[in-house]
Amino acid sequence: MKLTELFDKGEFVITSEVGPVKGCLRSIAGSKLPQCAQEAELVRSVAHAINVTDNQSAVMRLGSLAASVKLKERGFEPIYQMTCRDRNRLALQSDLLSACSLGIDNVLCLTGDYTSLGDHKSAKSVFDIDSVQLLKIARGLNEGHDMMGNALTQSTNLALGAVVNPNFEPLDLQLLKMEKKIEAGAQFFQTQAVYDPRVFEKMVKKTEKFGVPIQYGVVTIKSPQMGKFMNENVSGITVPDWIIEEMGKAAKQDRKKKAIEITVRLIREIKPMVQGIHFMPLGWSDIVPTIMEAVKSAI
Amino acid sequence: MIGTTPKPFEEITEALKGYDRIAVIGCDGCAKVCMTGGSDQVAEMAEKLKKIGKSVLFAMSPERTCYVGKTKTSLDPQLDKLKEADALLVLGCGGAVQITRQVIENYGLTIPVKVGLDSVGHMDTLIMGELAIEQCQECGECILNETGGICPVTKCAKSLLNGPCGGAQNGKCEVDSERDCAWILIYNRMAALGELDKLRRFMEPKDYSKMAKPRRLNIKERKVE
Repeated sequence: MKLTELFDKGEFVITSEVGPVKGCLRSIAGSKLPQCAQEAELVRSVAHAINVTDNQSAVMRLGSLAASVKLKERGFEPIYQMTCRDRNRLALQSDLLSACSLGIDNVLCLTGDYTSLGDHKSAKSVFDIDSVQLLKIARGLNEGHDMMGNALTQSTNLALGAVVNPNFEPLDLQLLKMEKKIEAGAQFFQTQAVYDPRVFEKMVKKTEKFGVPIQYGVVTIKSPQMGKFMNENVSGITVPDWIIEEMGKAAKQDRKKKAIEITVRLIREIKPMVQGIHFMPLGWSDIVPTIMEAVKSAI
Repeated sequence: MIGTTPKPFEEITEALKGYDRIAVIGCDGCAKVCMTGGSDQVAEMAEKLKKIGKSVLFAMSPERTCYVGKTKTSLDPQLDKLKEADALLVLGCGGAVQITRQVIENYGLTIPVKVGLDSVGHMDTLIMGELAIEQCQECGECILNETGGICPVTKCAKSLLNGPCGGAQNGKCEVDSERDCAWILIYNRMAALGELDKLRRFMEPKDYSKMAKPRRLNIKERKVE
């Protein structure tokens, strides 16, 4: 089911992200389930839909569309992530038509990490259009025309998602862009990872009036090293010292348990402010059902 | 100006392999400002070439080597020596190299013209003799009126037109933590001007056909053809 329909029904929408493999997905005898499908299976019981990243961190992988279709074949509801980094306006529109033709119902439109952050640093970055323009173009395809106004033989019917970073300073500038995304066609939002409920509250107070569903973005910190690494290397995210300290105090074998505990604590505080949760488990998809169970049992 | 950096000397000697009599031509315009191809650097290059056994027929720096008239006027008195040259080495931008080649061809000479610099774009000098930065892509449809005089096409790594990506940290760009996020600069500038509302306007996708290469400028009619 399209994400927009779930939100409209008042569902608290859970999504979880998987990254396509760096390799081909042709089924051959004896081949085991690829990592991205394995991760999706781990969250099947709790997630309404699975986000499929698009050459995440500018690292070349299997295409988001192919992986999304493969997940759809396995009975998942994919959210096809589309960035503006690698394709010009012709390719983006064409891929949106392809996605809808192949049964995809949800698209998340993003700018995309810069090429120099990935594994093909000398590649030419495209950024022919930006995420706001992409949303407007995608809405146009839903309405039956391409961005030049040419009629389509058949319209797309895609739920359009976008992202917002509550950590951004100045926040008003980020929200100005969020409003532009809504005007352009964004129907739901997933946030960047946030570790401070006060930061989230500050944003929600200003975005309530926008009337669009927002999913709280969760990236579980697996170790104190990861927390420090993210502070130093991952743009737009701040992991507070208390999380790094708590993870540091936990014995190595207890870290997963501690990570779950911290995440549950954060979700409990932030849950009343949002219409869903978006997990970015980075290989720890197995903890998502445990977290959701703990969150539910507390209510 | 057009920014330039020197090619490694080994690359230059490789390009000049097999050519003994060399003429060195710099540019007293942009390359002089970049300290890569002005009179001083041309003289230095002539000395270096002599040290590796080349014969330097002449070394000069026209006032603007990208301007065909000035280059021709500078080279005319050297025509006899030019005819003796096995190759020319130009310490100028890619445009200077090609204008020099055209002037040489117009003399009816077929002499290889080699480049000793790498061109790195339209640069604005912030500190004379120290620092220049790129601020304009010559995109053909200037939007500085809408963005507080700060160009997101050039100063934002992703050339975003409708606001920042989510990657800035402490006001710095996700691509280079030393560089200010262009959109935060624009936001602060527009706030100072009391024009923040103007940023709410949807900016249409850029018309990149206006950047389609190679452009041709009709100076007489003041338009791109």
